[in-house]
Amino acid sequence: MKTSHHAFLMAVLISCAAQAAPSDIIGHIQNIQGTATIERGNTTLPGIKGTALYRGDRIRTGKPGAVGIVLTDDTSVSLGASSILTLNDYDFDPKEGKFSLVMRMLKGTFSYISGQIVKLSPDAVQLQTPDATIAVRGTKLLINVEE
Amino acid sequence: MNRFISTPPSRLSGATVLGLALLWLFLMMLSGCAKQAVILMPDRDGHVGKAEVSTTKGKQTLDKEGDTTSVISKNFSPSSVTTAKPADIQKTFGEVLAIEPPPAETFTLFFETGTTDLTAESSEKIAAIIQSCQQRGAISVSVSGHTDATGSDQLNDQLARDRAEQVKKLLVEQGLNPDLITVSSHGKGNPAYPTPEGVAEPRNRRVVVIIH
Repeated sequence: MKTSHHAFLMAVLISCAAQAAPSDIIGHIQNIQGTATIERGNTTLPGIKGTALYRGDRIRTGKPGAVGIVLTDDTSVSLGASSILTLNDYDFDPKEGKFSLVMRMLKGTFSYISGQIVKLSPDAVQLQTPDATIAVRGTKLLINVEE
Repeated sequence: MNRFISTPPSRLSGATVLGLALLWLFLMMLSGCAKQAVILMPDRDGHVGKAEVSTTKGKQTLDKEGDTTSVISKNFSPSSVTTAKPADIQKTFGEVLAIEPPPAETFTLFFETGTTDLTAESSEKIAAIIQSCQQRGAISVSVSGHTDATGSDQLNDQLARDRAEQVKKLLVEQGLNPDLITVSSHGKGNPAYPTPEGVAEPRNRRVVVIIH
């Protein structure tokens, strides 16, 4: 049992190491109204037009607040007031054939417009709400997560 | 929960079943049953794709404009698919739709064979790219080099990257802020015209500039 745990841990560590460096910019805030913050590790930053986004970021809008973000593969996500989105995983590396996009919509209203990752690797994209997972084939979705 | 359901009902007394049902209801109330709705819409080109909404208990497929389903718990299937009313969409999502980023502007540049020299026609696009960046107040400019599926990967990727770097140099010379620009090679992994391995396709040997 212990050995298999170790093997599992090693596999997790290796797969983490194989991902793009966490320092890579994965997108930007393109539009903003009212207030929005970015939670990154233990720090909270004010969101402004042009703020760079990284894997693991949590974006939270105020009330009033609305924000539009664009990821480097052209995926576009907009958040209405009092909304929370986390960018759990992201990889856009056509040269190596590595693609991943996992986002979690925790509460609020969202518009999602698919980008190049869905075209190149449809199974790589997963949107999550508290109780559901959504697989996407190249399109736009509106998602409402009530509190 | 699954463990309870998989126990043969004949072994449970009526009181136990009632107790479990009450416990389940109580847990549902605790979890809040926040409703989560998903609506399928056409993208910017008018193309309607597909989405599959899943919980641990089932799945619904949305494949027509306005198709919608909702989920109240991971322990229930998503609701049957219905059609969302435009007025309801506007009421709930008006704010979100208004903040959607404008579509990217994309330029494709071609080169003289085997070199980092832009064709005459593509050279003229550099000024148009600069103009677009100024008009939009661009926040990011992605410059990616692409190859076709012939020749050595290593040589191809190097040439694709060199071409993308050359485009960056030209844009910076024309006054674009280098901090906005990211350069990458997509190699043969993101073709404009997909081909089998080994097929020459000049239209895939290109640099794509995407302005947001």
